[in-house]
Amino acid sequence: MQESTALDLLEPGEFLLIAGIILILAYLALEHKEIVYAAFFFGFMASFVAGIFLLLEAPFIAGMQIAVYTGGISALIIFAVLLLPRAQDSSLEEFSSPRKRQIGLIMATLVIILSGVLAFIFPWAESFDDTFIAISNDLNELALWLWADNGIYVQIIALIMITSLVGAIALLKMDKAEQLVSIRGEFGIEAEPELQELDVLEDEEPDTEEHEEVDD
Amino acid sequence: MVPLSWYLILAFMLIGLGGYGMMVKRNLIRILIGAEIMGNGVNIALVAMSLYSPVFTFTGQGLIILIISVAAAHTALALVLMLMYNRRYDTVDLGQPIVMEEP
Repeated sequence: MQESTALDLLEPGEFLLIAGIILILAYLALEHKEIVYAAFFFGFMASFVAGIFLLLEAPFIAGMQIAVYTGGISALIIFAVLLLPRAQDSSLEEFSSPRKRQIGLIMATLVIILSGVLAFIFPWAESFDDTFIAISNDLNELALWLWADNGIYVQIIALIMITSLVGAIALLKMDKAEQLVSIRGEFGIEAEPELQELDVLEDEEPDTEEHEEVDD
Repeated sequence: MVPLSWYLILAFMLIGLGGYGMMVKRNLIRILIGAEIMGNGVNIALVAMSLYSPVFTFTGQGLIILIISVAAAHTALALVLMLMYNRRYDTVDLGQPIVMEEP
């Protein structure tokens, strides 16, 4: 009997520990003065969120969380910090006005309270079970749901993602591409303004000579 | 057994923290981190609600897989937009007023 009560207390204890660490790391990711450390704190926070998914008996989601958030997105944020040296300026962490911070705090508190009220007061909250049966470990069923039943949505989202990534690369390379003569064209509409002006001058000169000849 | 409300409270606190970061911060990268924290909160809420719902479906978990994949793409896009902003306005400070150029 005592063993069962100890086991019952273990899971809430684990949850409280992981949730506390997540909240502290999220706060540090937002408030630490050094942006590089903030990016690392975000990565650690994402891996602890994977721990929450493991508590919810969703190991596949936990694996994806670690692979994408901890591995991919944290690395992207660190890349962004390295590519933008101005982002490391600690003066950016000072608030433009204390009132702005107070308004932000009030709004965030309102969001938390209102969403909590919506979740717990509305009647649908009672329809949820107190416990859940862990049948989510069946990856075959998850794969069937994703690829057989809803495959078209996955493909549409994949298309949107590849479009956004190609667009992002095109945006970055646009400035460089505009400097290339082979793309702009040496003559024609896309020619540089100086070249166009030269062409106009060359066109005008023979006309004046002809007029002079007529006058003579 | 941990009740559903505990997971939802954690999710809402993360959403609130991320929203605070997005509303108050001036640094573009800090705003992106705030958005990602909000996304993590939403993920926790979705997985918890799908598991505790009386009729178990894979909707929650399937949605999370798609959300996590899209999150990677939108972070890459956000990074590119930050680089473009820095190149054009020579700053990553959103608190500074910017002057739009005439076309």
